[in-house]
Amino acid sequence: MHSLKSWRYPAKWILFRTDDRLLLIFIAVIVGICSSLAAILLNRSLIAILSWLHPFRQIWWAFVLPGIGAAMSSLFLEKIVNEGAGHGVPEVVYSVSRYGGLMRFRSSFSRLISSCLTIGSGGSAGPEAPVVMSGAAIGSNIAKFFSLNDRQRVALVGCGAAAAISSIFNAPIAGMIFSMEVILGEWSSAYLIPIAIASVAGTEVSRILQGNQIVFSHRHFDIDLMNIVVCLGLAIITAAASILLTRMIKYMNGKYGKAPVPLWMRAALGGCTVGLIGLFFPVVLGEGYNSIHMMIEGVFAQGFIIVVLAAFLKILATSLTLGSGGSGGIFAPCLVIGSFTGLAYHRGLVLLWPSVSWVNEGCFALLGMAGLISGMLQAPMTAIFLIVEITGGYEVILPLIIVSTISTTFCRYIESASFYLKDLTEKGHLLRPRTDARVLTELNVRELLETDCIGVKQNMLLRDFINIVKKSHRNYFPVEDEKTGHFLGMIYLDDIRPYLFNPGMYDAVLLGQIMDINVQTVALDDDLTEILDIMDINHLYSMPVVADNKFAGMISKATLLNQYRKELMVQAND
Amino acid sequence: MKLAINEIAKYLDLPVNTVERWIRQGKIPVHRDGPDCIFKKSILKKWAVSRNLSFTLPKNSETKHPGIEMENLLPAIKRGGLIHNTKGDSVNAVLKAAVDKIGMLSADAKKELYERLLERERLTSTGIGNGVAIPHPRTQLPEVKENASITTCFLEEPVDFSAVDDKPVFVMFILLSPSVKIHLRLLSRLAFCLRDESFVKFLRTTPDTDAFFERIAAFEKQIDKTDAL
Amino acid sequence: MEAQLFHIFRNTPLGRETLFQSTYFCSKTGAAINIYVPEFTKFLMYFENDVIQINLDESYLTAPGSALEHATEVVMQKNIKPKFIKPKHFTASTLPDIPTGFDFMCCPRSISDLSSKIGIGYIGPRVRRIVKSARFPVLITSPVYKEWSSITVFFGGSANAVNALKLGFRIKRATKMPLYIFTQAEKGHKKTCKDVIKHENLEKEMEQLADRWQIFEKGKFEENLYKVPHDSLVVLGAYGHGFIKDIVFGSKMEKIQSTVSNNLLIVGPNYTATV
Repeated sequence: MHSLKSWRYPAKWILFRTDDRLLLIFIAVIVGICSSLAAILLNRSLIAILSWLHPFRQIWWAFVLPGIGAAMSSLFLEKIVNEGAGHGVPEVVYSVSRYGGLMRFRSSFSRLISSCLTIGSGGSAGPEAPVVMSGAAIGSNIAKFFSLNDRQRVALVGCGAAAAISSIFNAPIAGMIFSMEVILGEWSSAYLIPIAIASVAGTEVSRILQGNQIVFSHRHFDIDLMNIVVCLGLAIITAAASILLTRMIKYMNGKYGKAPVPLWMRAALGGCTVGLIGLFFPVVLGEGYNSIHMMIEGVFAQGFIIVVLAAFLKILATSLTLGSGGSGGIFAPCLVIGSFTGLAYHRGLVLLWPSVSWVNEGCFALLGMAGLISGMLQAPMTAIFLIVEITGGYEVILPLIIVSTISTTFCRYIESASFYLKDLTEKGHLLRPRTDARVLTELNVRELLETDCIGVKQNMLLRDFINIVKKSHRNYFPVEDEKTGHFLGMIYLDDIRPYLFNPGMYDAVLLGQIMDINVQTVALDDDLTEILDIMDINHLYSMPVVADNKFAGMISKATLLNQYRKELMVQAND
Repeated sequence: MKLAINEIAKYLDLPVNTVERWIRQGKIPVHRDGPDCIFKKSILKKWAVSRNLSFTLPKNSETKHPGIEMENLLPAIKRGGLIHNTKGDSVNAVLKAAVDKIGMLSADAKKELYERLLERERLTSTGIGNGVAIPHPRTQLPEVKENASITTCFLEEPVDFSAVDDKPVFVMFILLSPSVKIHLRLLSRLAFCLRDESFVKFLRTTPDTDAFFERIAAFEKQIDKTDAL
Repeated sequence: MEAQLFHIFRNTPLGRETLFQSTYFCSKTGAAINIYVPEFTKFLMYFENDVIQINLDESYLTAPGSALEHATEVVMQKNIKPKFIKPKHFTASTLPDIPTGFDFMCCPRSISDLSSKIGIGYIGPRVRRIVKSARFPVLITSPVYKEWSSITVFFGGSANAVNALKLGFRIKRATKMPLYIFTQAEKGHKKTCKDVIKHENLEKEMEQLADRWQIFEKGKFEENLYKVPHDSLVVLGAYGHGFIKDIVFGSKMEKIQSTVSNNLLIVGPNYTATV
């Protein structure tokens, strides 16, 4: 019986007990394959739904389709799987930073289905974030199945996310970098190796099933110095566009959040509005990969005004879809908006200086995508590698780097955190490894408790107290009630020093009279960050910890520093 | 190796809660197996060193100076012994005579001790009043390594020690100790005895060895009971 | 440190019965009560190796205005000071995280039959998962408030049953109530049980704390359940057989809970007991 069951606890095998790297690589392959299959499943079903709905697009009432889809997706999330709306990436980062990557099993499919409904029906959103969430949840649940520890689980969550991106874009490096830069926020070899393996597995599965094709292949570009210089302008424009998108989504979220109707009604309303826009500008509907294709190929024929309008409308449609409660990510819309922006920039340049020989407009569309992605995600590395890989063109790397980095820089001026992590940073939940906040969150009051204080009773004479002082190592004495044992106050040796050397007081003073009753106390489950704030405000170095009205121990900055340092050392991952 | 979690915590000098959390988070190369923890000693040691943590298994940590806390007055006084009728009419002379009679020291050490005692006397007199002096070297003698000793010397004639109360000294306790901590402990215990007027009176009778030891033992018991020192 | 009991308050007459039950438990064992007044119908509990989403039915959100007052009123009747839990962290905006460092958790039995919700007519998969992952035992209250004056431990010799036995000793120590131990023994099983106790070094406690050890060698399990005193707190280990076995043979845990209406305290494999 025991031997039969032990396969579920591979971490206990002798082979893996001392070094889990091999184990992680094995499981990473499994996670990579599963996560990649989930991504392909979503992709295939999106294509199926799109082609199934295609005949209806021409009919005048087609604008309700996105509404129905969004409503269904919202109902599915709310009633069937009991989850909130949103794209899910913050949830992944949250669980990675606070709970060692523990995620619910339902997360591994809920967003897939809901985003499929939203996007398939025409809502303007991307399938990437839901796929990332599913991949991460798959990784987490596989780790749970094998009873792995937190560090290994986090690695597998990263594996799932990496494999999802790798698989959907056929871009292994971008997957790896996305996972490290956005999800884990940590570059260490212990994580890099399983994630790399998972990326490879994910990409390979997708290549076997989907064929090895570059998502947006293009013609050869000739880029000279002049083109690189004008990239600066493009970087600023894409930064502006990504800020606009961020703000719009937030605005719509606030607007719809106040609407006094059920969630699915809001989603339906948002969806119908998108549908209406789609009637006149079908390019804004869906994830929009087709239009990106056209733009990079340089066959997108419309003029400057139309392109600018399309960029704005796509922003509007995306914020309507996501803000009203539709399910999906911003990755694909970013790519579309980015290519519109790039194209518009190119058209503008041609209008202004028709004599200069600009590079093909497809190149600018591509740079625009990089600019928008790096602006929204504030993750320039991901943007650079993703664009290089999905376009298969290394020759654009120089302007690509410029646009990505500068766009990120500008966005950071205005938005303090990326779109994915904004909510988390605002609530103080973004706890990257080896940061102050992370260390303080991991430590808890129980671990820092100093229990070597000697408690005294309130009706004790000063004379008896002197004998206790002789025995004690500490300068603090908690005063307790005789009967209930409740904490009443503290005696600080510094405060009562004058009385200690006055034998006349020995039999005249009770401890209850000289104790300090206005003491700042903390509870066992208080957050260390809050405790430290209180200490700083009141210039304290230690505080008594009181649990259920009883004195539990002291907490002091000295012990904290000791443990803090150990924690920091231990967090170093190889 | 297999150990309970609180033992590991003890050897790592960490709270149990922390070790528990580290195992769960996979930050420490230890596996949980029910209430026990499984680990490989060499790997855990290497890990501890690289994280600046101490990891000592019980063998090394338990043999840590057992006797220090237990050094008491009576054994030290027994060790030092009693010297009656110490001759001399000045501080230097009585100290010289007393040091010569201290049993367990070598000739060189005696010379050094004498010089150090004089040096200490020059700083301030060790006559603490009531005719009692506690001469001691300011720094520890290299030859006194393990056990402290108090040699009680009754003087033939009271000597002017320029004590705090200017009373001539009739008894000296020469205090030799291996460390400052023990020195202070013995000094404080001795002082506790000498605070008692009746004890000083008793000393003036130049009691014999057994009666003296008995008296000290009684005091020691009293001190241990109140646990004041 | 007092033991902590976690209670999810439902502001309905039924919820009041449950809270009375929890308060009674606390007053007997000297545990402190932590009450969570839900603001959303779902919340998460992060355990060591699992995260469980708990969905409450709408009745938990009844009359939020009076909930605090009602809860305080009930708990104060036993002179216990209620402690209210406010979730500090949220996984999503309507999905609070509830801490899991408690010593007991109270799950109500109710007449609702939605299997995925908490507080179901039978011990549903959700409560079972809590039992499986949590370090604390789960208190399943009787349908209406019922005081108990003895403790009955079901001891069958498995690892979880040993945990149940340890918990029984612990509660016996806290409450000083009589402790009965029931064992349904098939052939030769009696010896195994005794061996287990020897192996776990529990003989001394068994002698000192157990007032009666009743071993049934005859009769069906369900029939023998009649012997359980009606006013007894039943402590049992979770019988984890796996999903398939449960469907085919039926879970022993369900059988017990459907047969006796006593308060049940169910112990899982992660319960770290100190005797």
